Amino acid sequence: MATAGRARNGRSARRGTAVLLALPTALWYLLFLVAPLVVLVVMSVGERSPNGGYAPGFTFTQYAALPTRFTPLVNTLGLAALNTTICAIVAFPVAYTLALKVRGTWKLVLVALVVVPFWTSFLIRTYAWMTLLGGNGIPRILGWIGFGDIQLLNTPFAVSLGIVYNYLPLMVLPIYVSLERLDKSFMEASRDLGAGPIATLRQIVLPLAAPGILSGIVLVFIPVMGEYLIPILLGGGKTYFLGNALADLFLQSRNWPFGSALAAVFVAGMIVLVAGYLALSRRLVRAGREQSLI
Amino acid sequence: MSERSTNTPRDPADVTALAIERRMTRRNFLVGAGAGLGAIALAGCAPTAASAPPATSAPSAAAPSGGASASASAAASANLGDALTLATWPNYHDPTVLQDFTTATGVAINMQVFGSTEEMEAKIRAGNSGIDVVVPSNYAIEGWVKDTLIEKLDYAKLPDFKKEDWNALFMDQAFDKGNAVSIPKNWGTTGIAYWSSKVNPGITSWKDFFAQAGTTYKGKALIVDHQISSFGSAAVAMGYSLNTIDPTEMAAVEKMLTGLKVNLFAISSDVQPPLRAKDTWLSIAWTGDGVQVVRDNPDDAKYVVASDGGELWIDSYTIAADAPHRDAAYAFLNWITQPAQAARETTFCLFPHANDKATALVDPAVKNNPVVYPPADSLTKLEYAVNATYNSPERAEAWARIKASA
Repeated sequence: MATAGRARNGRSARRGTAVLLALPTALWYLLFLVAPLVVLVVMSVGERSPNGGYAPGFTFTQYAALPTRFTPLVNTLGLAALNTTICAIVAFPVAYTLALKVRGTWKLVLVALVVVPFWTSFLIRTYAWMTLLGGNGIPRILGWIGFGDIQLLNTPFAVSLGIVYNYLPLMVLPIYVSLERLDKSFMEASRDLGAGPIATLRQIVLPLAAPGILSGIVLVFIPVMGEYLIPILLGGGKTYFLGNALADLFLQSRNWPFGSALAAVFVAGMIVLVAGYLALSRRLVRAGREQSLI
Repeated sequence: MSERSTNTPRDPADVTALAIERRMTRRNFLVGAGAGLGAIALAGCAPTAASAPPATSAPSAAAPSGGASASASAAASANLGDALTLATWPNYHDPTVLQDFTTATGVAINMQVFGSTEEMEAKIRAGNSGIDVVVPSNYAIEGWVKDTLIEKLDYAKLPDFKKEDWNALFMDQAFDKGNAVSIPKNWGTTGIAYWSSKVNPGITSWKDFFAQAGTTYKGKALIVDHQISSFGSAAVAMGYSLNTIDPTEMAAVEKMLTGLKVNLFAISSDVQPPLRAKDTWLSIAWTGDGVQVVRDNPDDAKYVVASDGGELWIDSYTIAADAPHRDAAYAFLNWITQPAQAARETTFCLFPHANDKATALVDPAVKNNPVVYPPADSLTKLEYAVNATYNSPERAEAWARIKASA
């Protein structure tokens, strides 16, 4: 009796500690994630006050008006998919080299260099590209060697360049980590069994790096979907992303309910995406584990 | 004033200081805030835009001038508290002027800078902003009054304000009859900036601007990212009012701008960097951009007020309805609108002032600069943007469609 009671007390005390320890995190999520989302959804069913801003209400007119933002949605999806793909294609060889080809101090230095750009603000790095791509930058050098009047700044190319440049480290690092953990004996076995380098890459390296590639894709795709700054600075306001549509709705149009509806749908879409990612990565990890058991 | 850039060193001739400040424009504030990196980034690249005036800034030689300090210290005898929050534009106030107010009254000014009237509105509309004095552009004021975001001014608390000193062109306007809620700070125009070495013959009207922006000067023209200024100027080019909200007229303007967009260099309120780099040869620009580019390139750069019309604007001091430091706000308005202070502010920020006595005291180099103070007859065709234009969902949607178009 006595010992059982003590055990129960111990268990409930432990549970109490656990609750106490979880409290800050729970509060953090409640205050900074759940509460703003609730505000967002409540606002999205409201009406634009006659002079701008939000007026309480219960209507779905804002959601009905969402098709008017179809063009920025398509722009954003298309450019986010394209640039995430470019990032993955560029990042894979970099990560592969870092993880499997370089050793010792060099490896340390090179991995650190991937992160170095983050020491400077995103805004300043992007602003620097404005100077490089502007008329007195690369186009002038191209002019000297015989190319005519080429405009680089404020083109879709500049937007893509800015996105790939800024988000590449987020793709390199997860792929690097997954390749770093790769058991090299698999590759040796593959070679011993007569597979060429391409077959080894396709059948051994890529499947084992898949969770890393997938993480990289999610890490790049989601922030690019919300991108606002690069289209303004490097796209000259001519490439219009969802982020820009949202900023304009809240500031220039001062239509908070419509902006909230657009943001709510956007957040919901991203949640679906992340859920899909979690399901897929779980399957990949399980498949990987089974493979290594064999 | 719209989202124009204002980067003005104290000494109008100090070009080196400008090189550093040039990068700091109003649009950058928006951009920085949007990236969530604003504070860090801007602290790095724009020390001059930091909020409070530097404590080390020496009071200017002229100050404190007799009359001004008398009223300020009279105000100091009342209990004004020790702080005041001013929501305004970047590089719009002479830090020494603000410092003098603090010295005289003990009220420290906490300055918040915004890239546009719209951003100021988002802040005060949300409520509990802590803001006391706001400096919006004319077109926002009616809506702010309707929603009681700003309060009716109690002129009994502005004993030094003398209506007869002010230029009638800018007082008692439709957006605020009898200046019930607002007193002008500075005014300006939305005009055309261009390089005379590249754009020949020069452009003098919106009609020519929009006709040549997509043809002769394809890829070399910029329009600002502001519905009122860009859509409005395009409407003027087509013979309509700056303020048109007529569906047929708006459809015509939208069609013209949508076709033009692909041939533009940019739709951006960061006017100066591409203009100075000669990436753009002609550009919509607000007074401040025009003054600064022309000052630094007097032989080549031009800033003109279009002959066929366009926008005239005023930024005005208003007091937030939920101002936590109301008495300090009145003391500040009473003081800052006096000619001595207003003249120093004008010499600093290079936007014209609506107080004639203040204008008389402005540095002659600034006062006689036709880019700062355009000839009166060039203003006759200009229009103020009205609240209905600012507030029109149809116009906002038309502008959004233009920007979204491929």
